[in-house]
Amino acid sequence: MKEYFLLQFKMLNRRMIDFGLPLLIGYTLLPFVFILLSKYVFEKTEFANYIYGVLALSFVSKLNEPKRNDFLKSIFNKDKYTKLRVLENLIYCLPFTLFLIYKIQLSFSLILNFFVILITFFDFSTNLNVTIPSPFSKKPYEYTVGFRKTFYIFPIAYFLTYISVSVGNFNLGVFSMLLIGLTCFSYYSKIENEYFVWNYNLSSKEFLIEKTKTCLIYFTLLSLPIIIALSISFFREIDILIVFLLLCYSYLTTIIFAKYSSFPNEMNMSQIILIGLSFIFPPILLMFIPLFYSQSIKKLNTILHD
Amino acid sequence: MIKIEKISKFYGKKQVLNSIDLEFKKGKIYGIVGENGAGKTTLFRCISGLENYKGNVTSDFKKLNDHLGLLLTEPFFFSKITGKEYIQFLANARQIKQSNIEDKNIFDLPLNQYAANYSTGMKKKLALTAILLQENDVFILDEPFNGVDIQSNLIITEIIKRLKELEKTVIISSHIFSTLADTCDEIYLMKSGEIIKKVEQVDFNKLENEMKEITVGNRIDKLELK
Repeated sequence: MKEYFLLQFKMLNRRMIDFGLPLLIGYTLLPFVFILLSKYVFEKTEFANYIYGVLALSFVSKLNEPKRNDFLKSIFNKDKYTKLRVLENLIYCLPFTLFLIYKIQLSFSLILNFFVILITFFDFSTNLNVTIPSPFSKKPYEYTVGFRKTFYIFPIAYFLTYISVSVGNFNLGVFSMLLIGLTCFSYYSKIENEYFVWNYNLSSKEFLIEKTKTCLIYFTLLSLPIIIALSISFFREIDILIVFLLLCYSYLTTIIFAKYSSFPNEMNMSQIILIGLSFIFPPILLMFIPLFYSQSIKKLNTILHD
Repeated sequence: MIKIEKISKFYGKKQVLNSIDLEFKKGKIYGIVGENGAGKTTLFRCISGLENYKGNVTSDFKKLNDHLGLLLTEPFFFSKITGKEYIQFLANARQIKQSNIEDKNIFDLPLNQYAANYSTGMKKKLALTAILLQENDVFILDEPFNGVDIQSNLIITEIIKRLKELEKTVIISSHIFSTLADTCDEIYLMKSGEIIKKVEQVDFNKLENEMKEITVGNRIDKLELK
């Protein structure tokens, strides 16, 4: 069991190095960012405990991946496997537990740890062969996959728009559009296998244009009910709506270009920091978009052979 | 025609391909055999442009990639893409309009289920179907028979023969010698990143015996099995 955890530690170190994060900085920065975000959740939200609990559980549940656990079951006997999984879940939850203790939420941290142990015994493997229908089947893959993973976001966003129109709250309506924008943004956070880029008979420029065009059209389609509802109900604020729509377009374009700027590798730390900066100061996108674009062209040229 | 001149490839200091010269003609089927790690897959990745290399790959096409169907040893699939969408995606990438995909499902795959949940053999059959529907002129099939059931093996063999009739160029690697002997016009034997032998159809049986001698030799005796 000791070897297993040592191996996990080595893997974590390697991931950080691959991510472009020196270990010393990583181990200093990560707790700092974690504490900062945790403080933010507790200061800005009313039901911080519950949000925090859900965040912790969703983080820990990543360890319940069926294939991974089947592999562990094949190596360890039942007792060892259970001990290992319980311990592993508790370690993963430890930062959340410590912060809850710091916030003097002892009973809540106990309940959280109880659930963390409990989910160890859930078998997440399923034989259900349900394919969620996707309106984007004709043009895979980002929106096809993304829609299936986040389909529940859209009714929530439309419902928020309905509330925004009913109570006359324009900001809530804009938020619902941004929610869709952010969801679509997440579809482009991971790089695809190089084989899928290699298959295109387009030049790097055409490839990027095609990807961006598809993204913006599908985003517009998904936000159209919100755009129409807000344009009619808040006609006076249509200029603000257009500004936010253009911002969504800009961020979506940025993430596509940023994604391919490190192709075939995942986005590295510097790109993530630049994108983070753009959220603080959006006009900087005017610099980042051409920068990421030219980097993407260079990277894609190696595989699309222009 | 595809001409490969003096292709070399290094991973760090390790040389995996050593100055390989090959020529693949239209309407011919070529086999590449060799033990694991001989460099077959790397050679395919270099020809297709998935890897950088020293040397030259030239062809009759302006851009070889646009006419090349590549079947990888372990095809990669997105987590929530159905078989049909996978085929559609690969066709879209080459600007090929594909309709009635279900009618072309010769391996009877469950096209409306997520491809990532398919078995190894089903994934291979799906990937093969997808590159066939891309209407390519050249095919590189890396271990097309691996993990595939015997019935599908027969179908794949017939597909390869049909591709030859259609004047396509097919390059196959396989550990199953009989399937190569059934389909290929020429077989190249690779060892440690080099082509050590070229064999014409008439000498295939001889090659099989030689390979047995080279690869098996007296290795099994070392196990001292009791």
